[in-house]
Amino acid sequence: MKNLLDFLQRHHHWLLFVVLEVAALTLLFQGNSYQGSVWFSTANAVAGRFYKGLSAVESFFALKKANEDLTLRNFYLERQVTQLRRLYGEATARPDTLAERELRKLQQYQTLPAKVVSSELHKPDNLMTIDKGKADGVEVGMGVACGKGVVGVTYLTSDHYSIVIPVLNVTSSRISCAIRGHGYFGVLRWYGGDSRYAFVEDIPRHARFKRGDWVETNGYSSIFPPGVLVGQIAQVYNSRDGLSYRLKIRLSTDFGNLRDVVVITDRSIAERMRLMQAAKDSLKLNVSE
Amino acid sequence: MTIDLLKRCLWFLTLVLAQVIVLGRIHLFGCATPMLYVWFVILMPRNYPKWATLLWSFMMGLTVDIFFNTPGMAAASLTVIGALQPYLLESILPRDSAENLVPSHKTIGHMRYTYFVIILVSLYCLLFYTVELFGFSHAWLWAKSVVGSTILTLTLIFTFEIVRSK
Repeated sequence: MKNLLDFLQRHHHWLLFVVLEVAALTLLFQGNSYQGSVWFSTANAVAGRFYKGLSAVESFFALKKANEDLTLRNFYLERQVTQLRRLYGEATARPDTLAERELRKLQQYQTLPAKVVSSELHKPDNLMTIDKGKADGVEVGMGVACGKGVVGVTYLTSDHYSIVIPVLNVTSSRISCAIRGHGYFGVLRWYGGDSRYAFVEDIPRHARFKRGDWVETNGYSSIFPPGVLVGQIAQVYNSRDGLSYRLKIRLSTDFGNLRDVVVITDRSIAERMRLMQAAKDSLKLNVSE
Repeated sequence: MTIDLLKRCLWFLTLVLAQVIVLGRIHLFGCATPMLYVWFVILMPRNYPKWATLLWSFMMGLTVDIFFNTPGMAAASLTVIGALQPYLLESILPRDSAENLVPSHKTIGHMRYTYFVIILVSLYCLLFYTVELFGFSHAWLWAKSVVGSTILTLTLIFTFEIVRSK
């Protein structure tokens, strides 16, 4: 301590020097605008660099929160992009005249448009979910079709969603269909494997048809109106017992990219069919009389 | 002690007046100005209290600044010279010199005194013009001013020295 005080005493003029120099420099920078401005800008630059470094450190500590916010925002934006892309695709898609014609035919009946929310193709028993349910008027056992053809039958409904058994279901799908023009009918079955092909069983051996003929629903069911497309005959095989034909049908519905479907909510199909049939029969009798 | 102080004040005033009235208005070639007031600091005796040297230098510089409207330039530069002068004087003097030696031609010899004066004056001019121009935008002007002022000031100091010693 004594040494320190001795040291300070011997060199106290340096302290005075510093004080006087500071006073002179203060006068210099205050009194002269050029020097003052140089000092000001240099001091600002130094302070600015210091604060930049400090804020870099601070922002590093705030990165975790920023990261979370960005992830959330990213998620929303990606969803928005997907939706917009889909809308754009729909808006600019080439019009499918066959699909439009079929849909117009279907619209004679009471229909409800729906969107496929989930579907599967590769299991033996595939199921599909659509986004309409009891609240929209869908009931169990209603037919579901799309512009290109038949899709399936509703199986289970909740308030806002329904499960549909599509054609691609080994155990449960049994849609009755007939060859257009000839009327020979059979049951549409699917045996797994390729999702583009299904089989129509029990076509009688005396039936006249050829490959490429269109197969459609025959109106014998109360689920589908007549004339809903099923597909085209691709191959003809003999049935297992050899007593009938087994047709390999190329399905007109593309289950791979199915999105827009139509639920046929018309309960009067069956009644109408019967009435129409009764009227035709009675007319025939009348004419023949 | 007081006489000494009074003599020093008189010397101070003389130099200030000379600078303000006559010498400060000389600007040879637009760049060189004689700065005789540095002589005041050079003539500080050996072992004069360092704080007193500093104060005198500061006051001299401040006064000149006030008259020439250059706040802080001369004060800052002259204070540095005032801080260095005792050390430089000690370093050039032989160990057995007088206690309160006032540096001049006679007391410490021509060569040593010349070197002493040249070093301090050139350092002062360097500092002064650096502070005044404060940058490298007028490097040529700065060089001219430093060299010119140094030469002028040295000329005046040596002339008056010879007169004084007669």
